[in-house]
Amino acid sequence: MARRYDSSTTTFSPEGRLHQVEYAIEAINNAGTCVGILARDGIVMASERRITSGLLAPAKTSEKTYKLCPHAACNVAGLTADANILIDQARLRAGRYHYQYQEPIPVEQLVEHVCNYKQSYTQYGGLRPFGVAFLFAGYDEKHGFQLYQSDPSGNYSGWKATVIGANNQAGKSLLKSEYGSSSAEMADEGEETSPDVAGALRLAVKVLNKTMDGTAAAAEKMELFTMTLDESSEVVHHILTQKEAQEVIDQVEAETASAGDS
Amino acid sequence: MSILEYNGAAMIAMAGKDCVGIAADRRLGIQAQTVSTDFTKVFKMNDTIHVGLGGLATDVQTLHNILKFRMGLYELREEREMTPQVFSHLLSTLLYEKRFGPYFVEPIVAGLDAKTNKPFLSSMDLIGAPVQTKDFVVSGTCTGNLYGMCETLYKPDLEPDALFETLAQALLASVDRDALSGWGGVVHIITKDGVTTRELKGRQD
Repeated sequence: MARRYDSSTTTFSPEGRLHQVEYAIEAINNAGTCVGILARDGIVMASERRITSGLLAPAKTSEKTYKLCPHAACNVAGLTADANILIDQARLRAGRYHYQYQEPIPVEQLVEHVCNYKQSYTQYGGLRPFGVAFLFAGYDEKHGFQLYQSDPSGNYSGWKATVIGANNQAGKSLLKSEYGSSSAEMADEGEETSPDVAGALRLAVKVLNKTMDGTAAAAEKMELFTMTLDESSEVVHHILTQKEAQEVIDQVEAETASAGDS
Repeated sequence: MSILEYNGAAMIAMAGKDCVGIAADRRLGIQAQTVSTDFTKVFKMNDTIHVGLGGLATDVQTLHNILKFRMGLYELREEREMTPQVFSHLLSTLLYEKRFGPYFVEPIVAGLDAKTNKPFLSSMDLIGAPVQTKDFVVSGTCTGNLYGMCETLYKPDLEPDALFETLAQALLASVDRDALSGWGGVVHIITKDGVTTRELKGRQD
């Protein structure tokens, strides 16, 4: 039934669905997982590094984490070629906003711009949608640290913690139970409070362990990114070194081992 | 009236021993009337590149913002810092793109090659014709004076402190005979260890 209504992006099916957009979302469910977690003092984005062949030259740059401007970065899940176009769009938009207003672009505006661009490929032109989902991490003066997720439809929303890519449902269910609920973070009434960046890193690794289950957790298989403020209130983008990543992995291993004993 | 002489400027960049210096006056005028005595014409683009923009003030500021934008994009895409040579070339092509409606600015670029620490100097006209030199470059409303002073005072391989003295004296003496430039000066000396900035006080007229 869907067959007649799924070859054109710009056609609704009788059930009111855009099949091409849904197929694009499917494409992303085969991509490397990305976890994003909003912490009290920053944001953590962790992704699975998929090495598809031993013959591939070692990557000189990340293929998951991209800086968009001094105060925003994103993680990609999906078709890298599609992502490159959108990342460039985002960088240009942020640069032009800053040129015009001599102020950094508010994070949500940057996200909305990329999403509007994605949306136009679901309504005009007969071109296929972008097969990319993003996690956007950014900081602005008005709203502090923010985490957004966007998909091929051009829809976006702000999250405290979320997962995109392969096995994202498993990741999300783990976040639902674990985010803000570790004893160190509980407020008196048992309300959920956010972790700090160190805690968020450990939680992110835990999530990746679950979504990547079957493969042993190793520093080369993960890319851990943090966004924080330094003493002069400048935004710091940091991709953890192998050594730093291994430390987090070891901490998580120790935690799960001791949790198992108690 | 020449549009390039509407606001007034004087700037010099000079090469020393593993260092460069760039200096400019502080005047902003509207023809004869002086409007500001702390107008910035030399801009730090990154740790190794300074650019001096002399000419119509609105274009000085616009060009600075455009260069910041372009440098930012370069660093995001290439994940590395721009070198002085690349920057100079970018500026040249930027200016030529406006060949038939140009920015009224005649810039000078002063930089240090990050790896070799060798000085880099270039200057260009308002449509981007570049010139690279080993000794000094000048720009502004009193280039005749500036060339004369530099040619007389310049010596190759000056240490940073001597370079500062030479730059300062050359600038101060040149602007005194030019009504449109002066009202103080700024000198930046760039070495691999950082940038030292000093203000100059000359004739306040």
